[in-house]
Amino acid sequence: MINRRLCQLAAVALFTWHAGTAYAAPAASLSKDSFAQIRARHAGQPLVVHIWGMTCGPCMVELPQWGALLRRQPRMKLVLIQADQAPAQAREQVLDQAGLGRAESWAATGELDEYLRASIDRQWQGDMPRTLLITAQGEVTRIQGVANLAHVNQWLRQQTQTRP
Amino acid sequence: MSQSMNEAAMRVNLLMTACVRKGLRPMLAGLMLLGLSAGAQHQGHPGAARQAECTKGDSTALPCANTATPFVDARGRLWLAWAGGGAISVARSSDGGRSFGSAVVVARPGAAMDGGADARPQIVVDPKGRVVVAYSQFKDKAYNAQVLTSTSADDGASFSPPRPLSSDPASQRFPALALDAQGTLFVSWLDKRTAAAARKQGVAQAGAAVAYAWSRDGGATFSTERIAQDRSCECCRIAVALTPEGRPVVVFRNIFEGGVRDHAVFTAGANGEAGPVYRVATDQWAIDGCPHHGPSVAVAADGSYHVAWFTLGAARQGLYYARSTDGGRTFSAPQAVGDAAQQAGRPTLLAKGAAVWLAWKEFDGQRIRIRARHSDDAGRKWSPDRTLADTGAYADHPMLVNQGGRIWVSWLTRDNGHQLIALDSK
Repeated sequence: MINRRLCQLAAVALFTWHAGTAYAAPAASLSKDSFAQIRARHAGQPLVVHIWGMTCGPCMVELPQWGALLRRQPRMKLVLIQADQAPAQAREQVLDQAGLGRAESWAATGELDEYLRASIDRQWQGDMPRTLLITAQGEVTRIQGVANLAHVNQWLRQQTQTRP
Repeated sequence: MSQSMNEAAMRVNLLMTACVRKGLRPMLAGLMLLGLSAGAQHQGHPGAARQAECTKGDSTALPCANTATPFVDARGRLWLAWAGGGAISVARSSDGGRSFGSAVVVARPGAAMDGGADARPQIVVDPKGRVVVAYSQFKDKAYNAQVLTSTSADDGASFSPPRPLSSDPASQRFPALALDAQGTLFVSWLDKRTAAAARKQGVAQAGAAVAYAWSRDGGATFSTERIAQDRSCECCRIAVALTPEGRPVVVFRNIFEGGVRDHAVFTAGANGEAGPVYRVATDQWAIDGCPHHGPSVAVAADGSYHVAWFTLGAARQGLYYARSTDGGRTFSAPQAVGDAAQQAGRPTLLAKGAAVWLAWKEFDGQRIRIRARHSDDAGRKWSPDRTLADTGAYADHPMLVNQGGRIWVSWLTRDNGHQLIALDSK
């Protein structure tokens, strides 16, 4: 039975969903406040943040490898950040094809300026791809360029082993 | 976690669809408005007011642009080509940049605009007053691009429909123009044709080629396209300057053995052939990725080459400068410029006689600053650095420009729009 009350609840749930969280397609819009929210939401657990771009050739070659890693490590907390601007449909297609359609996805909708970059990584000067491995304690390891996913996999295993 | 949350979302979405069918739309509209206003509150930086203005107003206007490139013509008039609101626009100033005439939209690539961190429209005006604009836009879903040119024969009042610089079907980006005293126009760009040919042979070839051509008819046509080097970084702008004899000097981020993306230079000879490719410095930046950060080059009256570049190599990290007095064959030891801890980068160089100016960008976490130094002896000794301007929101890279012997930094910021900042040596 669908009544007005149930619809209200559903609408509030949907609003909260879109305002607070965003998973899979469509990607959430990345502002300079977003990364702090991402960190807060995943605090206390190992987190992999992968920054990529549609116009970055090496990124496009690398993406399916992340999809493969996610299949092997379905419990990996992976956050994708697309740092250049592209139509949502094109992005979703690329992520789906890479096997990353279900990963948490964010996309820049404005310029990737100093402020947006610093909100993610104070040391980041715009190179892509870039990966941040963040331990449960908040220690960050940066990987410039295409990541060695065997190393990432090893890091993930270490994190699960050392978890209290 | 994400899977179960997705399922939950799907159920809520299905429920909402049912609600819409039952005619409960007004409540939904109200919630959507709430969502929009919540989204708008995310903008808190000082440029937010102009950003909002730019979003709702004439977003192709200069203050709303992301990049603006200056050029001073033979009559000393300042021209600007800018990218903003999905369009390439041009305007000219007859009072040294204090005011500009009406802007003319040259092209509207829209979402296909190549808006990469190092992409910007190029503009030159030849001695006959012919205006040439070059830019790149994406042409397919794989983000292959093409370089387009548009010309004006009526002093910038109107522009020709944009036409591809090259007929090659592979990808072309990052055009760089240089005009010699006779009005011969040189263009260099990054071209994926050799990588595409290698792929057809089943070989994965990293990077792109550095291609170049000349136009002797004011940009209407470009002569035989040549490839100087086919392993360069595909996402960093190219820098071009002319020697006193008018030979183009091209500096770019090359891909050396082991995926090392360090800088290289070549000079095109009188016969049009590219001379040897020399390494500017051995920084050892091995990265399988896109630095999105290209170099700058200037040639002084004595023929010395001046190069500034950014690296995060194993040997050094930050912004560096070096000079060559033998046509790029050897360079001086790289000299650190600016504060690497404050992201010193985005260099711009300009030479006039024996004087050389170098300006760049820094960021301390709050403010973006333009810093500069100059040399009166072709780069042997340099002045102390000084800050020319700063801002607290989006800012384009600085661009040095020589207007009738006065040196300026052309800088576009979201807070202050386009500025010309005087940078005389004394």
